[in-house]
Amino acid sequence: MNDALKIGILYSTTGPYGSMGRDARDGAEFAIAEFAEASGCPVEPVFFDPQADLAAYLEGARHLLRAGCRHIVGTITSAARKEVIPLIEKHDGLLWYMCPYEGFEANENVIYVGGCPNQHLLPLFEHLIPRYGNRPYLVGANYVWGWEMNRLARELTANAGGEVLGERYLPLEETAVERIVSDIEQRRPSFILNNLIGPSSYAFHEAIRRLADRDAAFRPENCPVVSCDLMECELDDIAPGAAIGQLCAASYFDSVATSENTDFKQRIVAHYGAPRRVSSVFASAYTAVRLCVDAIVAAGGDEPSAVRRELHGKSWATPFGALNIDQETNHAALPFHLGRINTQNGFDVIASRPPLAADPYLTGRNKPALPKLRVVS
Amino acid sequence: MKETPNFTGWHAVVLHREDGNTEKLIRQLRLLGLSATLQWAPLSAAGVPDIVIVDADQGFDDLMPWSGSTPTCPVVALLGSEAPGRIAWALAQGAGAIVAKPIAASAVYPALVMAVSVHQERKSVAERLQYLEERVRLRPLVHAAVEKLMQAHGVDEERAYSILRNCAMRRRLPMEQIAAFIVGGIEPLPEAG
Repeated sequence: MNDALKIGILYSTTGPYGSMGRDARDGAEFAIAEFAEASGCPVEPVFFDPQADLAAYLEGARHLLRAGCRHIVGTITSAARKEVIPLIEKHDGLLWYMCPYEGFEANENVIYVGGCPNQHLLPLFEHLIPRYGNRPYLVGANYVWGWEMNRLARELTANAGGEVLGERYLPLEETAVERIVSDIEQRRPSFILNNLIGPSSYAFHEAIRRLADRDAAFRPENCPVVSCDLMECELDDIAPGAAIGQLCAASYFDSVATSENTDFKQRIVAHYGAPRRVSSVFASAYTAVRLCVDAIVAAGGDEPSAVRRELHGKSWATPFGALNIDQETNHAALPFHLGRINTQNGFDVIASRPPLAADPYLTGRNKPALPKLRVVS
Repeated sequence: MKETPNFTGWHAVVLHREDGNTEKLIRQLRLLGLSATLQWAPLSAAGVPDIVIVDADQGFDDLMPWSGSTPTCPVVALLGSEAPGRIAWALAQGAGAIVAKPIAASAVYPALVMAVSVHQERKSVAERLQYLEERVRLRPLVHAAVEKLMQAHGVDEERAYSILRNCAMRRRLPMEQIAAFIVGGIEPLPEAG
C-alpha cells in the first residue's frame, strides 16, 4: 500500500448521545495512533460529524465514500445505521458497527462488533427474573431500539409466566419523565427495563432515585433500573449519586478484570499520560478500528470480501479477550457482563459469562431461542 | 408481533435458475435456520416444502403443483420485472410477499414472515368460510325442524327456535345436526321447558 489507508469515522459528538460519540471517536483515534506507532504504516482517519441529525448520516457516508474510504466505522443508533447501509452496500464498502443493538439484521456489508439480544437481553432476563420476579415495567427510546427490545422483553416475560406492568416510550431529548414514574409507583413492578437513551434516560434515573427516597420498595436492591446501553462516559451526565446501585448489561466495563483489559488500560495511560475511565463505546470503537486495520493489512488491501475472509479466518486479540467474527452472521462472539453502578461512577461487575456467539434472528442456533424463565423464590 | 418468528428446521424450495441472486438468498435462508433446495423444474405435489420461493420473472404455469391461487404452503415471489402480467402471475400462484431483484439480504426475513402470516390467515379464512357455507346449506333443515316444533307445541316461530337452540346447547351439538334428528324423527321432540 503506497497511499495512506483511509478509514471513515462517522460519529455525532454533539446532540443527545454526544458523550457516547465523543468516547467512540476517542477510541477510534487511539486505535489509529496505536496502529501507526506499532506498524509505521500511515492510516488516515477521515472524520464526519452528523451532529445527531439523522439525514446528515447519509450525507456523511457519501462524503466518506467519495473521500476514498471503503471502510466506515461508526453510527451509534440503529436508525443511523439503517440510514447508511443501502449506500455502503451499493458502493461495496464495509460498515463497522460497534454498539449493542436490537438484532434482526445480518448484512454482508456490515461487521457487527456490538451485541444483539441473545448476547445482552436474554442473559440479562435469565439473571433478573429468578432474582426480582417476572413483572417488569418497560421504558424505551421512541424508535426501533426501544420498540424491539421491549417487544422481546414482553415475549421473555410471557414465557416466564409473568406480566408486563407497563410500557412507555420517550424521545431521546424528552426529560419529562414524571408521569411514567408515577405510573411505576402505582403499579409496583419487579424491576424496570430501561431502553431509554441520552437525556431521557438520565432524567429517568434521577426521578426513580427521588421515588426510592420516598419509598424503599423502589431502591435499586428491591426494584432495579436495568439498562443495556448505559456506559461509564454517561454517568457524569446523571445527577451525582442518583444512579448508584442500578444495573447495566454490557460486553465491556472498565472494571472487567482480565489480563487483556488490564493491558489495554495500561496502554491508554501511556497514550494519554493519565488514566481515563474506559467506556464500552470507547473499547468497542477501538476494537472495530483495530480489527478493520489489522484485517486490511492481513488481506493486503481494503477490498471488502478479502477483508471479511481474513476477519472470519482467525481469533483476534482485543480488550474483550480473544474475539471471533462469525462467517455467516458477520457478528462478533461477545462476553456478557452485568455491572452495578458504584459510588465512583463506575460499574462493579456482579455477573459474567464467557463469549456467546451472536444469534441475530434468534433462530436458537446455539440453544433454545427464547428460554422459558422461572421465578425461583 | 407477539412471538418472534422462527424458521429453524424449515425446508425451502427455491424455484429459480442458479445465479448471484439465489446464492445471496440461500446464504440468508441458511442464516435464518432454513435448509434450501434450488431447482428449476416443477415442484411435485408429494414434495411440498414448508415454504416455496419462486422466480416470478420466468415462472410458468405448471411450476406449482396446486391449481389456482390456493397454495398448500406459503409462497414468496422473486420479481425483477414490473410488468403487470408478471405481478399477476405471482398473485395467481398465491404469493403472500414479493422480494425485489436484485435481492437485498434484508428483504428475505420480512418476506418470509409476511408470506407465512398471509398463508395462515388465508387458511383460517377458508376454513371459516367452509364452516359457514355448510351452515347455510343446512339452513332449510333448521327451518323444517322449527316448523315441526311450532306445530307439536303450538308455539310461535321465535319460541320454537329457542327450544331448538337450547336443545343443541344442552347436547353440545350443532343446531343443524339436532334439526336433522328432529326432522328425521330419530330424536324425540324436545320439551318446551
